[in-house]
Formats: sequence, structure tokens, C-alpha cells
Amino acid sequence: MISPQDLFPSIAPWVGQLDETFPGAQIKPYFAQWEVLHILSLALLGGASILLNLRLIGSGLTDESPSAVRRGVLPWLNIGVFGVVLTGILIGTSNPERLYTSEAFTAKMLGLAAALILTYGVSLPAAKADGRLGRGAAFAAAAGLAIFGLCLGVFAVAKLVNPGLWHVIIAAALIVLFVTRGVTRIVYLVGLLGLMATQLALHHVIWKPDDYAHLDPANKVMILVYLAWILAAAAIQIVSSGRGRDGGGPATRALAYAAILVWVATAAAGRWIAFA
Amino acid sequence: MIRDFLVWLATQVGKGPGEYDPSWSEALASTLNVWGLLEGTHVLSLMLFAGTIFLVDFRLLGWGFRKTPVSVISDRVLPLTMFGFALMVVTGVLLFYAKPLLYYHNLWFRLKLIFLAIAAINIFIFHFRVQKDRDAWDLDEKPPAKARLSATVSILSWILVITFGRFIAYDWFECGKPLPHWANAAQECAISERGAIDLTEMTK
Repeated sequence: MISPQDLFPSIAPWVGQLDETFPGAQIKPYFAQWEVLHILSLALLGGASILLNLRLIGSGLTDESPSAVRRGVLPWLNIGVFGVVLTGILIGTSNPERLYTSEAFTAKMLGLAAALILTYGVSLPAAKADGRLGRGAAFAAAAGLAIFGLCLGVFAVAKLVNPGLWHVIIAAALIVLFVTRGVTRIVYLVGLLGLMATQLALHHVIWKPDDYAHLDPANKVMILVYLAWILAAAAIQIVSSGRGRDGGGPATRALAYAAILVWVATAAAGRWIAFA
Repeated sequence: MIRDFLVWLATQVGKGPGEYDPSWSEALASTLNVWGLLEGTHVLSLMLFAGTIFLVDFRLLGWGFRKTPVSVISDRVLPLTMFGFALMVVTGVLLFYAKPLLYYHNLWFRLKLIFLAIAAINIFIFHFRVQKDRDAWDLDEKPPAKARLSATVSILSWILVITFGRFIAYDWFECGKPLPHWANAAQECAISERGAIDLTEMTK
């Protein structure tokens, strides 16, 4: 119900001939090689985005100001984004039917739009101003978060694709683990391990692994509990850490978390196109 | 001998008492979502691991963060890289465990392991030899040739590891298909379940 085919049924004839015309027809025999370039670009933009946003959160390259980190990562971020978009379009033209009928692809495109807005409209301007959010960045943040929310919503209801949301939850869990310090980190980690043990028990002790009638609702509840735990720890980090250091206030830090996770969600949705 | 161990790993470890009970490896490979989550996490970890190691290498090449001391980049970024690497290794080992024989007889997997070893040796050499006198060039915008060489080897190795890793999914050189002699030999197809079919023998 939410694949591009459902949303734009009138373009079906155009999509149907994409892989027989330029450039799709030329790309098709080298699909794997272009896929590698797509992944390498993703890695590059991922590394750049992580360093930039971790600095805004108050972690990572803290010896440098956010504006210096921005200067260091900007060329590589641009190359990574350009590479991902270009190779993505080319791969898409050589495999159009698959994407046209994929709900994960809808989530991916929404994620990409949100990622571009949050990166170029929020993170980079905030880093340039050493953490301060201008009015333009605030508008971009509102638009980016709204589209990111839509992306997560589509991801969550997409058939056979929604398990991919675990990638976003795992990434969020690991970022919070990396940036928290001291007692907060220990308590948070113990809680996470407790949740994992609970989930393991649900799947192998309380119910059988193939008892989907019980496990499906239980997994949904577990996702909410994980999210609550991770968000609570992130909120503590956002409010309490980095006082007296540059890198931005709580709003900047919260948006920096979102700016990393939106790329993870986009990439995860892209990967799950292949699984559903 | 390695193959025998992998056959045992794939078919015997964790196998239940019943004739049709799966081993842990078979159970992992046939899960509804776990295999997909492992594979997805393995690929997504590249954003953390490869992305950050590329940026460290770019600093060593003098292509980025030129005003930042090499020691700062190493000390602050490499923990992230190591974390990403650990995530990749854990998910990679589990993926291998799910289908060990498939990967064992796969040309791309073997090439991936070779370049993983080259990357590991390069890290070892960098850590114990190249950066021994790092204090002398820590602030240099363009570090010495030995550091740049190490960074180049690192970038190329990881690009090839990623490339061959992606190619594993394609069946261009799958055992049991008519293949050139060298491909059958390189993958030990003769002892695989699908056997070896020599392309040159077929075309004679």
C-alpha cells in the first residue's frame, strides 16, 4: 500500500522501460560493481557524518572546535553524498521494477530526503556556528524531523521489512553507549543487557522461537521498552553532559543524534529492499 | 582438514537428537529475520568502520584535517574504528557460521580473507614501526612517505575487502558450474558438494 507503485501508479510504463534505455541498460551488466561504489560512498559519508555529529553531541574529536571538524569532513561528506545519490540513481535505473514495487524503497527515499535536510540544513550550519542553531536551521530541523518520522512510520508498517528497524535501534543504542560516561554508562549498559536477556528468554524459554502468535506482540512491546530505555539515557546525556564546553546546547545535541540515525535508517531501508 | 571441521561445524554442532533436527548453523541460516539483520548490520557497520578508517588514512595522506595533529585523530577516531571493526567481525563470523561451506568454496570470500590479512599486517607494521617516531611528524600537514604508504595500503586493502565481500553474493564462479580450471582449483571445487566442472574440458 505504500510502495512507489501504490503512490505513483501512472508512471508504471516509464518505470517499465528504464532498464532497457540509457543509462539503465548500460549499468545492468555491471550492477555489482556499481553496487560496490554505492557502498563505498555510503561508508565515506557515514564516517564523515558520524565524526561531525558526534562532535556536536560533545564526543569524538573534542580537541577541535565543531567548525574545525566541519572543515575537515566537509569535502568527504560531499563526495560521499554525491557518490551515494549518483550510484543510487544509476543502480535504480538498472533495477527499476524491484524498487517500484518495494515499500522499503519508499522508506529509503523519505530517509534520504530527511538525511539531506538534517545534514545540510542543520548539522553543517550548526557546526559552522560552533553549535549554535540559527533560525534557518530550526526550520530545517522541523522539516527534517517530520520527514524522518514519516520514514520511520513507513519502515515500521512495511511488510517483511520492518525487522530492519532494529538496525536503527541498535545504532541508537551503540551511539548512546559510546557518548555516555561514568555511572550513566554503567547503568545504561546493565539495563541494555537485562533487556537482551529478557528478549532471549521470551524467544527460547517462555515461548518457542516459531510461536509467532505470542512473539509478534511481545517483540513489539520489547521494541518500545528498548526505545524508552535508549531515549531516557540519551536525554540524560543531552541535558547533563558537555556543560561549559562548546558543541551546542541540548537541541543541537538531540538533532545531531537524529542526523546520524537518519542515515542509518536510510541505509537500513536500502538493504532491506533486497530481503523483502 | 579445514573442510572436515567446517562440515562438522555446519551439520553437527548443536544438532538435536532427532534425525531432522537442525544444527545451530542450519537453524541460524534458516531464521526468518536474524540472518537478514546480521547481514544488514555487517554492511551498515561499514559506515562506522570503513568511514572512520578512511578519514584517519586521509589525514596520514595529508588530504584532510591537515591542521589537526595525527595523534589527536588517531586517539579520538580509532576507538570508533575499533568498535566498528568489532561489530563487523562478530556479525561476519556469525554470517560465516550460518553457511560455512558455501563461503569456504567461494573465490571472493577467499580473496576477501587475503586482503583482510594484508590490512591486518599493515596495521601491525604501522603500529609498531611507522608511528614509532610519530612525535617528530605529528604536526606535519603532510606526514612522511612511510606513513603515506601505509595509509595507501590501508585504503586499497579495505576497498578490496569491501569489493570482494559484496561479490560473494554473486554466483559468477559458483562450484558446480562450468568454470576455468584455475577457478575450480582456487575454490577447491573438486571436494565441494557441487563438485568441479572444467570449462576447457567441456569445450574440447
